[in-house]
Amino acid sequence: MSESGAIVARLPNDRGGFLGEPIRRIEHELAPWEKRCHALADVLDYHKIINTEEKRRGVEALGSDIIGKLSYYERWIVAFTNLLFEKQLLTPEEFARKMDEVASRSAPQDES
Amino acid sequence: MQHTEHDTADSHRAISAGPPGYYEVMETAIRELLIEKRMIEAAEIRRQIEVLDSRTPALGAKVVARAWVDPEFRVRLLADGRSACEELGISFYDDTKLIVLENTPKVHNLIVCTLCSCYPRPVLGLPPDWYKLAPYRARAVVEPRAVLAEFGTVIPDDVEIRVSDSTATVRYLVLPMRPAGTERYSEEDLAALVTRDTMIGVVAVAIDAGRTPK
Amino acid sequence: MQARERGGKSPTPLSGVVLAEREAPGFKAGDQVRVLDRNPIGHYRVPRYIRGKRGVVEAVIPTPELDNEQEGFGRNAGMKRHYYRIAFAMSELWSKYKGSPSDGLRIEVFETWLERV
Repeated sequence: MSESGAIVARLPNDRGGFLGEPIRRIEHELAPWEKRCHALADVLDYHKIINTEEKRRGVEALGSDIIGKLSYYERWIVAFTNLLFEKQLLTPEEFARKMDEVASRSAPQDES
Repeated sequence: MQHTEHDTADSHRAISAGPPGYYEVMETAIRELLIEKRMIEAAEIRRQIEVLDSRTPALGAKVVARAWVDPEFRVRLLADGRSACEELGISFYDDTKLIVLENTPKVHNLIVCTLCSCYPRPVLGLPPDWYKLAPYRARAVVEPRAVLAEFGTVIPDDVEIRVSDSTATVRYLVLPMRPAGTERYSEEDLAALVTRDTMIGVVAVAIDAGRTPK
Repeated sequence: MQARERGGKSPTPLSGVVLAEREAPGFKAGDQVRVLDRNPIGHYRVPRYIRGKRGVVEAVIPTPELDNEQEGFGRNAGMKRHYYRIAFAMSELWSKYKGSPSDGLRIEVFETWLERV
């Protein structure tokens, strides 16, 4: 297998056997949005809108660059967005408009 | 090929005092769109948050303590972990199965999910970050003794270490050994000794363990 | 009868019942198996470190389930088969394993990833 073939044939999450990195005993209390994100995953799985295995595949499909830069629940919500587009349950335009609307709720108001 | 995961970013970005970050906005946007499209309901999300909040290592500790004091429960627990938990009212909302792994003087069990973060959430709650990050997932299956040593746990060479890697619908819970000197303890006192990390298998139960969730 | 000796827990299976194809597990506890050295891309649930390795079936996971690799692409129903909890010696998985020779690994593997040795 070529070197690039080897990268494609091993998923970025398939880490069993890699040595060398010390285990950092990190824990954190979930932020409210992270907990909502976890609840969303469970509800989507209950409905089989996005099942748990699809979520895993969606995270893998982000690729190692994004996986390396985003935290656990950040990866989930991006994966959900991509999966919903793929399933034609949502369009990128709807998503972008909603993002602007939500973001504007907390934007500072202009003084006039 | 290595990639770093933003473990510290997890704690810093998630709990910031300012306006919602990009991903929090995304979570809100997606949730609201799905509700507007009537694919999910807001009440379902609220309910699932309550479900998640109710699942903590204290549940697992009660299962372990019950197995320590009730030999017939222990037999049922080892035969079918999910059914035995359900006897105690612990439902398995995520459709997973549970195999309970008994530690003995000859065998020490350790659980991991190398591919993602599979964990017995219905009975233990959400996993700690270190369980989900690459170093633990990578090394638990290839050098479990070194991993255990990093947690302060030394297992003698004549004790077999058995690592269970969850990849499908089965989840695992370690049934630790009951420490000596606890013969007079009540079931509640026993449960107070059983921490989350003893049920993952990275540490053994100690008599001087406190009531902290770790 | 054995069932009564055990307190009447499980009845004897009736004869003459034909199972659907692949309804019965293809492997049983104690079988020597090898994980196939097959190399999909895109999504898999058999980690590379066990591919091509020899182990023993420790247990049949009782309820047949969907192929989770196909589930990852949205297949929520269909043909179900068995997963098996496979026992591997650490020395089989890692040529330079440094722990005790009795150390082992357990992992669930879907039937279509296994062959008999």
